[in-house]
Amino acid sequence: MDWLSNQIGADWARALAQFVGINVGFVVVLMIVAYTVLAERRVLGFIQGRLGPNRVGPGGMFQPFADLLKFIFKEEITPSASTRFVYFLAPIIAITAALMPIIVYPFGPEVWLPFLGTFPLVIARFDIALLYVLGITSVGVYGVALAGWSSNSKYSLMGGLRAASQMISYELSLGLSLVGVVLMSGTLNLYDIVVQQGGGGGVLNWNIWSFWKAGTCPQIIGFITYLISAIAETNRVPFDLPEAETELVAGFHTEYSALKFALFFMAEYVNMFTVSMLATTLFLGGWQGPFVDVFPWIGIVWFLLKVVFFLFLYIWLRGTLPRFRFDQLMNFGWKFLLPVAIINVILTATVLYFRWS
Amino acid sequence: MFNLLPSVPQLLFVLFGAMALGCAVAMVAQRNPLYSAISLVGVFVSLACLYLTLQAPFIAAIQVIVYAGAIMVLVVFVIMLLNVEEEVRRPLRLTYLIPVGVLLAAVLVGEAAFMLSLGSSAPTPAQTTSGSDVGLTASIGTGMFTKYLLPFEVTSVLILMALVGAITLARQGRTPLFAAPGNVDEEPAVLTAGGDVAIKPGDTAATGRAYAREQIRSGDAAAPSTSAGEEER
Repeated sequence: MDWLSNQIGADWARALAQFVGINVGFVVVLMIVAYTVLAERRVLGFIQGRLGPNRVGPGGMFQPFADLLKFIFKEEITPSASTRFVYFLAPIIAITAALMPIIVYPFGPEVWLPFLGTFPLVIARFDIALLYVLGITSVGVYGVALAGWSSNSKYSLMGGLRAASQMISYELSLGLSLVGVVLMSGTLNLYDIVVQQGGGGGVLNWNIWSFWKAGTCPQIIGFITYLISAIAETNRVPFDLPEAETELVAGFHTEYSALKFALFFMAEYVNMFTVSMLATTLFLGGWQGPFVDVFPWIGIVWFLLKVVFFLFLYIWLRGTLPRFRFDQLMNFGWKFLLPVAIINVILTATVLYFRWS
Repeated sequence: MFNLLPSVPQLLFVLFGAMALGCAVAMVAQRNPLYSAISLVGVFVSLACLYLTLQAPFIAAIQVIVYAGAIMVLVVFVIMLLNVEEEVRRPLRLTYLIPVGVLLAAVLVGEAAFMLSLGSSAPTPAQTTSGSDVGLTASIGTGMFTKYLLPFEVTSVLILMALVGAITLARQGRTPLFAAPGNVDEEPAVLTAGGDVAIKPGDTAATGRAYAREQIRSGDAAAPSTSAGEEER
């Protein structure tokens, strides 16, 4: 690191290190996502009393690669009446907006490596990490909305409009359910929020039920509203109205095929992964867990275990719950979830006011 | 003086500045309104990146959340739903404005040249580095809730007024929701030759009330009840 700084200057050395870190992060996340898809198919198979894909490799381990090859070699079909430029732009926006937030999540404490020295296990650590996540998420709406419009098909348009209105509606309760945690922590920096959930008391310090530490208020309501709006935000069962196959074929990606469809597919699972990481970071203590003080690297294991729990929850819900009706979905979001999130903000602020004074 | 590599902030400034300019030109030059809207989103995002290089992360985040994420989504929605056609090129009217435009552009360029000629003696925003807390989330929040509390609250009332106004305007044509008992027996119905109530965009509340009364009489709408909002279920 020092040698590199001397060669090209400290700024460029840092930029290069970040660049490498971001790319490694993307590859790792995409691998995890590929295996989430496999896990989903196997777990759904288990829930529904069948086997699921188990032919390619031991227990179906190489199924993701077979799927990828198939996606690459499929024919690319472009509808003749589509708006060509936007049609190609939409999947790019979707996958970019899905991948960009992953760089701010801390997945471990400060560790030491030979030649590199001591550094925290987070790709980018800056002040407004949480706002950055919310901002990128709000840009992700363009992916689905433009995809639905540019395909020039009624199913796509309906799916795109549904997806966009659903994402805009649930974004509000998603953002508001995080305010409680921000009030408690007094920072938007995700790394600092995780550090604050450590210390003596262990699991009891996690923001979701932390009450014994000074200046805290349990965020159970915030956690539940976040979880529900996160599921709606990623367009997953039971809120997967945008791609309700009984009425809309496949929603906004009806007209997409081959690799462009694969990009939408990946974006959905990357989004699942990022909202799980956000829930872990803000409510379940991120990488905090037993033995982190003694052996920092074990933080990665705790972090991944918590994230995998949320991913499993997603799959479990998909295997269990039926789909909402669209007016039910909107009523639930605006008339129940949003007020509850606001009440949580007021409650947290009140409790914190009395605990501080 | 010049190294082999430009400094990282310089490179980012050139990159995002060029992106902002390119998107801005594309926004004006495009004839398809949707492409213009997408270009405007590009402008907002690259402006946010420029704010980041100027050590103002909070403004950058708000720029993306509010403008790119909320306002432009609405604009794109409207363009999509109205299915606005491509603009047709028309012969230029208002030709007398061209010299005025040229003059204003010359003033702008002259201003920029003057600022540049001042050189490094003038303070530039890029020099407010890590020492200052301007643009940080905490300082903005403190300022907003102490020194600038009154303007902040007045602005929120203003936005609320806009909201109420928009709802009132949007509801005017759809009077059955307004059909409270007092409204229905007021003015006479405006009937067309066929006996139907004519209602068009831009009609007044009186015609709307007449339409509501007609609907209630023919059984198409429920009779008004005393509690407002009940017919939403």
